[in-house]
Amino acid sequence: MLNTTNKKMAVVLLVISIIYLIVSFRLPSYAYVPVDSDMVPIALGVLLFFLSIALYFIKDEKSEEKVKLPKEDLLAILIVIGFIVTYIFLLEIIGFILITALFIFFCSWFLGFKKFITNLIVSIVLPFAIYYMFIALQIQLPQGILPF
Amino acid sequence: MDVFHGLLTGFEVAFSLNGLLFVLIGVTVGTIIGMIPGLGPITAIAVMIPITYGMDPAIALLLMAGVYYGAAYGGASSSILLNAPGTSEAVATTFDGYPMAKQGKAGKAMATAAIASFVGGTISIIFLTFLAPTLSKVAVSFGPPEYFALMLLGLTALSSLSEGSTIKALISATIGFMIATVGIDSQTGTARFTFGSAHLLEGIDFLVLALGLFALAEVTSLIIFRKEKIAESSKIGSLKLTKQDYKDIIPTMGRQSVLGFLIGVLPGAGGTIASFLAYVSEKKLSKNPNAFGKGEIRGIAAPEAANNAASGGAFVPLLSLGIPGSGTTAVMLGALMVLGIQPGPLLMADHPDVFWGVIASMYIGNILLLVLNLPLIPYISKILRVPRPLLTSLVIVFCFIGVYGISFSTFDLFLLLGFGVLGYVMRLVHFPASPLLLAFILGGMMEQSFRQALTISNGSLSIFFTNPIACILIIISLASFLVPILKTVRKKTKVEQTMDM
Repeated sequence: MLNTTNKKMAVVLLVISIIYLIVSFRLPSYAYVPVDSDMVPIALGVLLFFLSIALYFIKDEKSEEKVKLPKEDLLAILIVIGFIVTYIFLLEIIGFILITALFIFFCSWFLGFKKFITNLIVSIVLPFAIYYMFIALQIQLPQGILPF
Repeated sequence: MDVFHGLLTGFEVAFSLNGLLFVLIGVTVGTIIGMIPGLGPITAIAVMIPITYGMDPAIALLLMAGVYYGAAYGGASSSILLNAPGTSEAVATTFDGYPMAKQGKAGKAMATAAIASFVGGTISIIFLTFLAPTLSKVAVSFGPPEYFALMLLGLTALSSLSEGSTIKALISATIGFMIATVGIDSQTGTARFTFGSAHLLEGIDFLVLALGLFALAEVTSLIIFRKEKIAESSKIGSLKLTKQDYKDIIPTMGRQSVLGFLIGVLPGAGGTIASFLAYVSEKKLSKNPNAFGKGEIRGIAAPEAANNAASGGAFVPLLSLGIPGSGTTAVMLGALMVLGIQPGPLLMADHPDVFWGVIASMYIGNILLLVLNLPLIPYISKILRVPRPLLTSLVIVFCFIGVYGISFSTFDLFLLLGFGVLGYVMRLVHFPASPLLLAFILGGMMEQSFRQALTISNGSLSIFFTNPIACILIIISLASFLVPILKTVRKKTKVEQTMDM
């Protein structure tokens, strides 16, 4: 039944439209306007509901073929996402310059950048340059634990 | 203020030392970002927005115009040199561009692309100069029903014209609209879909969505091709075009620029359609159609002229109606709003200096692109040698800065990551991302004008049908997505019939 990507996506979208509709119907009403704030969301939810049913039944050669992604690439993407999450968590704690330098260095190295010295220079010079450029533009990025 | 006086004021700003410097920066950065396979004008503009905070709007506009044209040209260069178009607009350029590069004539191909882009861009800006003010005079009388109908047309047209299935594009648009409903409702003050989070009360910033859905999602393709060696095409050959070449391409550039502009003005149809149409029509007009695809110079001039002319044409509805017709102009609208400029019919009436400043900066961006890029062609090809892993990390960092620089909240960074994942999944299952972005940007305005219209009519939907302009526009927009669906149904029955025979 769920043998094609389209059909799987259709089911996911159908669930999303139902959740969206439930939340829309529970929006509090406001008596003094002819069109309340839930009207457009309800219309959108109904639209998505029908579109996802239509998606279930259409044939589309392009996505008939199964979506393939080598495990190795998926793992690389997940690890980069891990780097990104770490970056976001540490940004306001250890500061922009330090975390950005670490991120550029390790992320490039992980993805296969072998030139150690070039990598080191770029990952140190660039965060400083950006940090001071933003100060010149009167935007203060998180300073963190570095004294400057 | 008349046309020439207005333009003169605009040029005054542009020709200051500061102005020229920022166009230069914009063109260079735009070209570099546009050259990276997968990254196009949308990413280039979105990444540059934070840099314009606190800048003089006139100067910031020049920067953005430079980025915009630079990114389009960058896409063409990677099409020619690597057979890897940066964006869908540049796909048609690979047909003859890459064969020319293989014959050792990359320099000539890139020079042709630069000249054709310049001609297409310039012709369309001239048309824009005269058409936009006229249209905005008409649009001043538009009320909420007309606006709603216009935006609906823009959305359905983009959905039906984008690549792949219309239903998928419509789903993308619906989801974009749904994301736009997050936050406090402006009419009643009701908090919608915020799930109790204070961060979501003000809604989602378009930059978070644009950078996530486009830039961050495209990073995944850089990760997947991280090990791919970049082909070293060291010889790019001479840049010079012969007299015969000019004879060949001048009529091509002329007619394809006009065609491209007209396609660009239409909502939904943008550079991609213009460039393909230009390529095909030029091949049909040619006495020697077999030369196309094997390194025919007109095969580069036609799509490049049309593509740039279309991007100028897309500014007509943006500047005169305040309604973007494509993903790229939608981001441009966001960039203008960050600068405190609200495009629309009132812009021309209330702030003619800004209006003409935008147009003047487009002239300058276009001219400088040609002046700067022609001599830089031999060096541009070297940019492509920046190692992919380093490039990947840098693009991610620029996305972070872009988002953090506006909100100073790590919550938005997580949101950015979320949209990046969404964008990646959408690519994987062939859902176009442009309708989502456009619907997100138009969503708020559409809902507002829809409800204003209903407030005027006291809740009766008849206002959309008694108003002649709105009614016609709604009929066209319904037709624009019903026709392709009917066509595919018909095609299917036809195929089945022939199979029966």
